[in-house]
Amino acid sequence: MAALIGLVVGALVALLLRPTVPADLTRYVAIAVVAAVDASLGGLRAHLERTFNDRFFVVAFLLNAAVAAGLVWLGDQLSVDLTTAVAVVMGIRIFQNVAAIRRRLLGG
Amino acid sequence: MATDRSSLVLGGALAITGFLLVSAVHTGRVERARTAPRQAELVELIESRQSLVEDLDAAVERLRADVTRAQQRASRATAVEEETADRLETLGQLAGTTPLRGPGLVVELAPSGREPPSADEAGAYEIHDSDIQLVVNSLFAAGAEAVAVNDSRLVATTPIRAAGDTIVVNFRPLVPPYRIAAIGADRRRFDASDIARRFKRWTELFGLGYDVRGERSITVPGYTGRVSISTAAPAPATPATPATTEPAPAGSGGGR
Repeated sequence: MAALIGLVVGALVALLLRPTVPADLTRYVAIAVVAAVDASLGGLRAHLERTFNDRFFVVAFLLNAAVAAGLVWLGDQLSVDLTTAVAVVMGIRIFQNVAAIRRRLLGG
Repeated sequence: MATDRSSLVLGGALAITGFLLVSAVHTGRVERARTAPRQAELVELIESRQSLVEDLDAAVERLRADVTRAQQRASRATAVEEETADRLETLGQLAGTTPLRGPGLVVELAPSGREPPSADEAGAYEIHDSDIQLVVNSLFAAGAEAVAVNDSRLVATTPIRAAGDTIVVNFRPLVPPYRIAAIGADRRRFDASDIARRFKRWTELFGLGYDVRGERSITVPGYTGRVSISTAAPAPATPATPATTEPAPAGSGGGR
């Protein structure tokens, strides 16, 4: 419950403040968002599976976002498109987490 | 207690996620909204300016014809000024501001339709500004008196150059194929020139479009740009360098 409220509150704050990300950082923020969504779903899954550890979660949340953005930055420096690589991996993980949450909630 | 704290942490993390998500989406939307109409605006601006230039060209041509007619009318009034009128007409023909007609050559150049085997060789399949320059020079060497590239008249101050991939003549970008009309050019002398021989070879090697036609009557339009000289002043004539002599066509051929 607190998780949903947090999501709504964060979205509302952003809607009210209307922050704009500097153009140079857009790509990194976008991929960090995907990583954060993945980490949040992972946390929700662990919460439902009763294996949630807040310290692990916070570290995973921040580290995932940082590594995702860092990888894209590294890719830009090497002129290799690592955005797709990160997006694919995160996408697969998001699907896996959603599937685990669904199984936990609906059973089976 | 542990679940309370963990759900609080989860809530906090999701709050950050939501915040980032909305701001990233918002930024993307703002960015797209800013770039999309700007591009359309630029295209529109270019198109409107191009049509403006065309309108002004047409106006210049019309006004110049009016001036010529008025000059003729005014000076024909007295016999003394008839000489001035003739002189003006000759000067206009030499400067390139009056349209001229006569027999000559039409050279057409076009980029190759073939696909270049590699990016390094792509240049050989295109027509470059230097190609146009060489053809124009050879046409003058072959006796041309009035030359126009895609209906843009060449005068003493005309540049032929490249801006990126586009060839620009008289500061006007050209669209291929390039049609170079030259009144007074001699077919045999042009065919003997270096560039004509090279183009014949390039046609076979790279598939470049190259066509020379002799025509009984070519019309070359007048130059529509500014012809007045504002910075340069006449230098005192020195006996060593005659200021006004016609270029001798016989000396410049050389290729035969």
